[in-house]
Amino acid sequence: MLGYIIRRILAVIPVMTIVAVFVFLLLRLTPGDPAAIIAGDMATPAQLERIRTSLGLSEPLHEQFITWVGLLLQGDLGTSLISNTPVTQMIGQRVWPTINIAILTIVLSVLIAVPMGVLAAWRHRTWVDYVVMAFSVLGFSIPVFVIGYLFIQTFSIGLGWFPVQGYVAPSEGFGAFLSRAILPCLTLATIYVALIARMTRASMLEVLGEDYIRTARAKGVKEIVVLFRHALRNAAVPIMTIIGTGFALLIGGVVVTESVFNIPGIGRLTVDAILARDYPVIQGMILLTSGLYVFINLIIDLSYTFFDPRIRY
Amino acid sequence: MRFKTRNFDDVPSVLRIDELTVRLADNDTAPPVLDRVSLEIRQGETVCLVGESGSGKSVTSLSVMGLLPKGALAATGGRIELEGRNLLALGAQAMRHMRARKISMIFQEPMTALNPVIRVGAQIEEVLDTHARLPAREKRARVLDIMSQVHLPDVERIYHSYPHQLSGGQRQRIMIAMALILEPQLLIADEPTTALDVTTQKQILSLIAELQEKHGTAVLFITHDMGVVAEIADTVHVMRRGQIVERAPVEGLLRHPKHDYTRELLKAVPSLTPRPSRPQPDGPAVLSVDGLQKIYGAHGLFSRRKTTRAASDVSFSIPRGRTLGIVGESGSGKSTVARCIMRLIDPTDGEIRVADREIARLSRRALRPYRKHIQIVFQDPFRSLNPRWTIGRSLIEGPLNTGAEKKTALKRAAELLMLVGLPDDAVNRYPHQFSGGQRQRVAIARAIAMEPDVLVADEAVSALDVSVQAQVLELLETLQRKLGITILFITHDLRVAAQICDEVVVMQHGRIVEHDSAANVLSNPRHAYTRSLIEAAPGRAWDFANFHELQTV
Repeated sequence: MLGYIIRRILAVIPVMTIVAVFVFLLLRLTPGDPAAIIAGDMATPAQLERIRTSLGLSEPLHEQFITWVGLLLQGDLGTSLISNTPVTQMIGQRVWPTINIAILTIVLSVLIAVPMGVLAAWRHRTWVDYVVMAFSVLGFSIPVFVIGYLFIQTFSIGLGWFPVQGYVAPSEGFGAFLSRAILPCLTLATIYVALIARMTRASMLEVLGEDYIRTARAKGVKEIVVLFRHALRNAAVPIMTIIGTGFALLIGGVVVTESVFNIPGIGRLTVDAILARDYPVIQGMILLTSGLYVFINLIIDLSYTFFDPRIRY
Repeated sequence: MRFKTRNFDDVPSVLRIDELTVRLADNDTAPPVLDRVSLEIRQGETVCLVGESGSGKSVTSLSVMGLLPKGALAATGGRIELEGRNLLALGAQAMRHMRARKISMIFQEPMTALNPVIRVGAQIEEVLDTHARLPAREKRARVLDIMSQVHLPDVERIYHSYPHQLSGGQRQRIMIAMALILEPQLLIADEPTTALDVTTQKQILSLIAELQEKHGTAVLFITHDMGVVAEIADTVHVMRRGQIVERAPVEGLLRHPKHDYTRELLKAVPSLTPRPSRPQPDGPAVLSVDGLQKIYGAHGLFSRRKTTRAASDVSFSIPRGRTLGIVGESGSGKSTVARCIMRLIDPTDGEIRVADREIARLSRRALRPYRKHIQIVFQDPFRSLNPRWTIGRSLIEGPLNTGAEKKTALKRAAELLMLVGLPDDAVNRYPHQFSGGQRQRVAIARAIAMEPDVLVADEAVSALDVSVQAQVLELLETLQRKLGITILFITHDLRVAAQICDEVVVMQHGRIVEHDSAANVLSNPRHAYTRSLIEAAPGRAWDFANFHELQTV
């Protein structure tokens, strides 16, 4: 088991190396003079020169790479071309809102979706099942910004339950965080609830047809125990996969929700950086999201061995 | 043959089923699935319910357990009485309290009947948790006690094992332990030994008998195997299409079957007496295997797993028009050999010659033209045909791959269907429109469509009912006569091997332990393992087809 974990962690190294090479080349191999692209049409020769030196563009490619990786390993992602602050610092300020929102979203989604899916599978082909499936189709088909504005309109402006926009860190008061985060999280959650509920239902349907479910019933075990102790754990692996992918996608895909709810997260940081052609920030963002993606996949892979003792590597 | 000849006239009854009728839930016009089934089981009695697939045996047992699939089947009439209460009238909760306390059930497939992600000790313990409140220490003691009663070795270790770490026989013991820990009055055993090897089957049957004796449990034993019936039954009920057509004490039923269907069923039981031997043809071998070896887990860059020898030093040859059987229990390597010969897997070492061409070392690409010489029929006709393809499409796929014209291939497909005893318009139909036996005929037609020299039948009749089994065996025999095809017949069933094989190879632990003519292997086994296989065959002293003891010459 420990050997497997170590091997799995070591496997992260080549993946992240490829990502790093890609990120490095992103700027260098763009056709034309990167400095000119970054500086834009109105740049003066002095500005171009300043950008070239700051990026070390006049040195040979491999030396640039070595320098860049060296700095990267020390946690130095460069300096923003616009605000002149270190990229790590910029990301550090913006990443927590996004991660907090993502975690809350996934927790909400799982809490809502898994029981929904279990119920739908248990009551297969009854109205309960049809309602769950209808909700799931709806969750897939309504765009995020529509749901977001709908929620604001109803719960914030109409009922006045929650603030319209903004973000407060959990450390400054969990209640305040929750009251502001709940609507964006529910907004984000709709599609994940739809996805996870569907996957749970499909996976549970398969498991509920298994012989050991019949055995459990023949033992006189209560239905709720049959569903959650016997069936759900067997159905868990595909559900975990979906949750993991969902979480990773969340980190990268919160742009719209952050804009609608005015949350200072990395989604907006990315958009701003792209609009301003702030290459060091863009590079940092790519590294961060792919790193998170790899990390989450690692956690999911390791979780399989917890759910299914037959998985041994 | 010694039968159980116990008298149950004065013994109180445990379960009484009265005119039980079960119908499809949303279809009142279809014939009932169970049609006024009545039966009684008394204390300590073993009642066997025999019949072919679809006869309603399992539906009967599930009705007693109250486990009919909801929304698909429903009991519409009759009574099921246990301790004076009608089980059909009980609510869900009251029924749940009956299970495991009063009635328990064990199932066919020990591989899938246990939850794979829960330790087996915990699974047995769950029965106690559900029905009794006991302190943890006592609970554990009772679980360990029942585990040793079912003769599991090293109970402390097995208590903490997961199902996949145990053998099939051990898992079935766990199932039995789970079923009997609360000492129910009635044990329902639904084909509990069908998925097990004969030697394991023998142990499980005697275990059930032992515990039945000890606890006075009544047993409802469901099986399709007349051999098992002869070994264990007190009373036998024969089912057909949802009705009980005959009931009698076991010896009476086997000696003097009254109903035509019972006679038919008994006649279809393949005899352990080998078929009359055919003259040895001269001529070169069509298929010959020399020093075949298959080792699993040998290479792998990072893995340091132990290697498994699935087959070592396997050699035999078959001349044209003859049938060689490979007999062995699960894990003996018989299927590995079949797959190596088909080159579905690559042998580690050794030679395979098909019609004088060495194919063991050919690359996949170089092998393609030789594939047509050797074709296979698999065990499960429900899974070996593509459900979305018409029969015709399945039949012509092979010929098209080797360059046949579509039109001629289709014409040939229709002829082949006639040859295997199916209507020629079956080409346009889909597999689900056919029964298991018919599908296996299609699978055979598919194999011979390639005009192979060798046909490999990998447990090709094992999933079929005995009467259908007899027909398919006959078909293979006829095809062999007409086409001169050579058959390699892989089976775990000595009775089937006795009926079709000229020669038999017995395998154990990946090695051939005995190789001789079928007659010699079955009547004069030399190796101890072969003898134990034959001795474990249930009902071996009875000649079912002729309703009397086997006359030993």
